[in-house]
Amino acid sequence: MEALLAAVAKSGDRRAFAEIYGYFAPRVKGFLMKGGASPEEAEDLAQDAMVKVLRKAKLFDPAKAAASTWIFTIARNARIDAIRKASKPALDGEDPALAPEESPRADDLCELKQEKARIVEVLADLPPEQAKVMRLHFYEDEPHSVIAERLELPLGTVKSRLRLALEKVRKELGDHK
Amino acid sequence: MSSVRHHPKTQTLADFAAGRLDEARAVVVATHLGLCADCTKAVSDFESVGGHLLETTKPVEMAHDALEKILARADVTANVIVPASPALDQPERNLPLSGFLKGSIDDVKWKRVAPGLSQSVIEAQGYRQGVLRLLKIEPGTQMPKHSHSGNELTLILRGAYEDEIGDFGVGDLADLDGEYTHTPKAKGDEPCICLIATAAPLKFKTLAGRIAQPFIGL
Repeated sequence: MEALLAAVAKSGDRRAFAEIYGYFAPRVKGFLMKGGASPEEAEDLAQDAMVKVLRKAKLFDPAKAAASTWIFTIARNARIDAIRKASKPALDGEDPALAPEESPRADDLCELKQEKARIVEVLADLPPEQAKVMRLHFYEDEPHSVIAERLELPLGTVKSRLRLALEKVRKELGDHK
Repeated sequence: MSSVRHHPKTQTLADFAAGRLDEARAVVVATHLGLCADCTKAVSDFESVGGHLLETTKPVEMAHDALEKILARADVTANVIVPASPALDQPERNLPLSGFLKGSIDDVKWKRVAPGLSQSVIEAQGYRQGVLRLLKIEPGTQMPKHSHSGNELTLILRGAYEDEIGDFGVGDLADLDGEYTHTPKAKGDEPCICLIATAAPLKFKTLAGRIAQPFIGL
């Protein structure tokens, strides 16, 4: 995926983009629906996000993040933009995000793979009830009180499980590097 | 960089990474990230967790003409990029505050709200509720004792203050919840300038503070 994004960035390669789209767009849509978005909202937001992926491919820096992480941040921002548009008229302006272009380096990609494997390991190690609350933390846009209601748990329990999970993830991933 | 002693809570960093903060607090956290490598690493790690969750989400089929539409939109609007959150969107997350101020901190128009205390409210309500302001505390001035009805993030941009928690200098961030009461006092010879985001209004503990509140607008 990182190589495909690089191809999109370099020459606007549509076939490479179609592959990225085929893999990520349905996942972004599924992700948003898990967070409570209706299928229509999720479809629109996923389309918005993929337009940004295409337009901003040049800003993707494989030395800094995996393609999935980068697309996650774009989908996250697309959701925020939707809230922003709903609450006041859209602003037009220049995009401040103009990062210098960098080409992928082999050692970065290798490191990236290791880091991705590490995340899988750390998440698999979490007690299931903590992992569940943490997943909702990322999917959901709603306050933790809404998550607590949905899980039929006291708010304090949700908060403490989340805190334990987040502290552990931070420690394990932070120690690794 | 290494002089930063007070950081956002892990929970706050994870909220930032998941896009759960209001814009006011997102700006404060992003500004802190520009000054703190440790917290930047933590946010990146949480974003990687988000990426992993995205990858492992069960796919839901897109509309049959979605790809076509996306390609068409990307072409037509190639040169018009709608700004996402300036706070979240900066690749380096480098002092995103500048995007919200009309100039530098030196050009801020201060409004005096009490002896030794002035503020400037910053327009940053693009999404969700929250209030962002700059507060200038003159040397030796003490803020009225107050607590917060919600989470409050205070980042020191200039000077220093001390309160019940400890000493705060440039780059330090106080991440305070509702139950906490404090009385910050500016230290040193220069005014202390803080960037403050509140999810809800402050609650003053003293009568004088409560009387002053409507005028201060805190």
